[in-house]
Amino acid sequence: MSGKRTNPSQPAQQERTFLRFALGQRWEHAVLLLSGLVLLLTGLPQKYREFSLSQDLLSTPEQVNFIRQVHHIAAIILALEVIYHIGRIILLMVRRKLPGDLLPVWQDVRDAGQMLQYLLFLRKDKPKFGRYNFEQKVTYWFIFFGLAIMGLSGFIIWFPVGFTQFLPGGVVPAAKLAHSTESVVMAIFIIIWHVYHVHIERMNLSMFTGRVSEDEMREFHAKEYDRLTGQTSSSAQAGEKK
Amino acid sequence: MTTRNLRQRKFWLIVAGAFILLFSLRLASPVSARPPAQETEKYCLSCHGDSTLSMTLPDGETLSLYIAQDDLRHSVHSSVGIECEACHNNISEYPHPELKYKNKRELSLAYYQTCEKCHSANYEKAKDSMHAQAAQTGNLNAPICTDCHGAHDVRSPNEPRSLISETCRECHTEIVDTYRQSVHGAALMKDENPDVPVCTTCHGVHNIQDPRTNQFRVAEPELCAGCHANKELMSKYGLSADVYSIYKRSWHGVDVSVYKARWPTIWHDSAVCADCHGIHDIRTTKDPQSKVNSKNLLTTCRQCHPSAGPNWTDAWTGHNEISLERTPFLFYVEKFYTSFTPFVLWACIIYVILQIVRATVDRVRRNLQ
Repeated sequence: MSGKRTNPSQPAQQERTFLRFALGQRWEHAVLLLSGLVLLLTGLPQKYREFSLSQDLLSTPEQVNFIRQVHHIAAIILALEVIYHIGRIILLMVRRKLPGDLLPVWQDVRDAGQMLQYLLFLRKDKPKFGRYNFEQKVTYWFIFFGLAIMGLSGFIIWFPVGFTQFLPGGVVPAAKLAHSTESVVMAIFIIIWHVYHVHIERMNLSMFTGRVSEDEMREFHAKEYDRLTGQTSSSAQAGEKK
Repeated sequence: MTTRNLRQRKFWLIVAGAFILLFSLRLASPVSARPPAQETEKYCLSCHGDSTLSMTLPDGETLSLYIAQDDLRHSVHSSVGIECEACHNNISEYPHPELKYKNKRELSLAYYQTCEKCHSANYEKAKDSMHAQAAQTGNLNAPICTDCHGAHDVRSPNEPRSLISETCRECHTEIVDTYRQSVHGAALMKDENPDVPVCTTCHGVHNIQDPRTNQFRVAEPELCAGCHANKELMSKYGLSADVYSIYKRSWHGVDVSVYKARWPTIWHDSAVCADCHGIHDIRTTKDPQSKVNSKNLLTTCRQCHPSAGPNWTDAWTGHNEISLERTPFLFYVEKFYTSFTPFVLWACIIYVILQIVRATVDRVRRNLQ
């Protein structure tokens, strides 16, 4: 948890940590978190305009315009972040350097099954996970597709006249419903699923510090630990840092 | 025994007879249907029944002093015994005091004020009207009581119902003629339809307000809903009574409801009923002249969305519930989320609860060891 680089000159004194997220990835997460939060907070009062709390916030027509503009600016920032993210994936793919850790594989389904057995007391131990466990993959892909829906529908209801020049008119009310509903689905998912996993199950701040401790590696990413250290996670010996 | 029985029966017969007598007396008692005595009326008409009687006012106008007996007899006042001196309260004898009015309008403007004596509530309401405002700016032609109700021939103003539009048409000719072409006005003129709105239904009666204000605009959907959200009334004409509730959920409707709740005095551009359907020229949607007929709908949308293309009209779901035939995109999106949203919610909740239970049990076990 320390987030400090392990100093080879002070062996065994300081706990060893592993790099989990590079600085760029952490920045991406920060931009996503902040713009998403602003979008949620400026979007909800627009969705629930009949509530007097929303009307207190949108207290004048000018204030409504202001909130809309903030929402649009945050949307542009998030859209740019998504473009950067996908652009980087494409670039890494072209260079054949894209790590496939996040891609869903059959092992994830087996892991989920075993995890369910563990949760139902049908199994003694948690399954061993790799760099990203199935919960984290679900998080990534849920938000990935959620943002695709939010972005697409959001731009349609931002520029309805423009989009219906070439799309059928029926997409506008459909986009409005999708935007409005998907936002709540994403909020539910992030608040219950994601916040539980990173704050309540254990305080996992690796997305901000970039690092995880050796203990955490052994407990939550055993396979990754084994792969990196060439040892089995059950034997608590010092290995080399990634 | 038999004599006693007979005597008893006689007694009861007498009692019953007495009761019947009493009742019939009561029924036939004093309130007679005699018309009230028209003493003054007869006296006044002995001169004013002369159709040639007239005088010249200082401005040169000729004021006829003839009162047709027929007008009086059919007026609401005369038939209940309210006579000449009730309004002409400055005249009690012959010869009359001298008239001081320069012209006929001046005379009307002086005499109509006596209406207040009996009709004070409506008189006060009228003071708060658009018409009274026009009078305050010095417009002598702004209508007063007698302009709409008449003077000597005051009748029930809505018998028949179309009479109301006739009265307003005296001044608002063009608007009433347009109205009579509309679905509402045509039904009124055709067979005195009791359900369609007449002028006063929307504009009010004595305290008629300016319909061009923000307040009127923002309250307008509710005005139309007065009839168009009434299931019983709408089913009579095969119309949907859900148009208002669906409108309220629409983009336009939500916007308008917020303005109504918060900023009723600030102008807003979100469409209210009349923006699309017209005001005095409302027609059925099937009428090719209707602003919301499918042929004219795009033109109507372009009033506010000038660069809208031909696909645009499908973006408007109309006053219809979501359906596969009319709004397939919306239909499938709604279908998806009605199962997806609860699925995500419950999957997250159940999974997290299972994790919390298992983690707690593990921790307790570890502590016990």
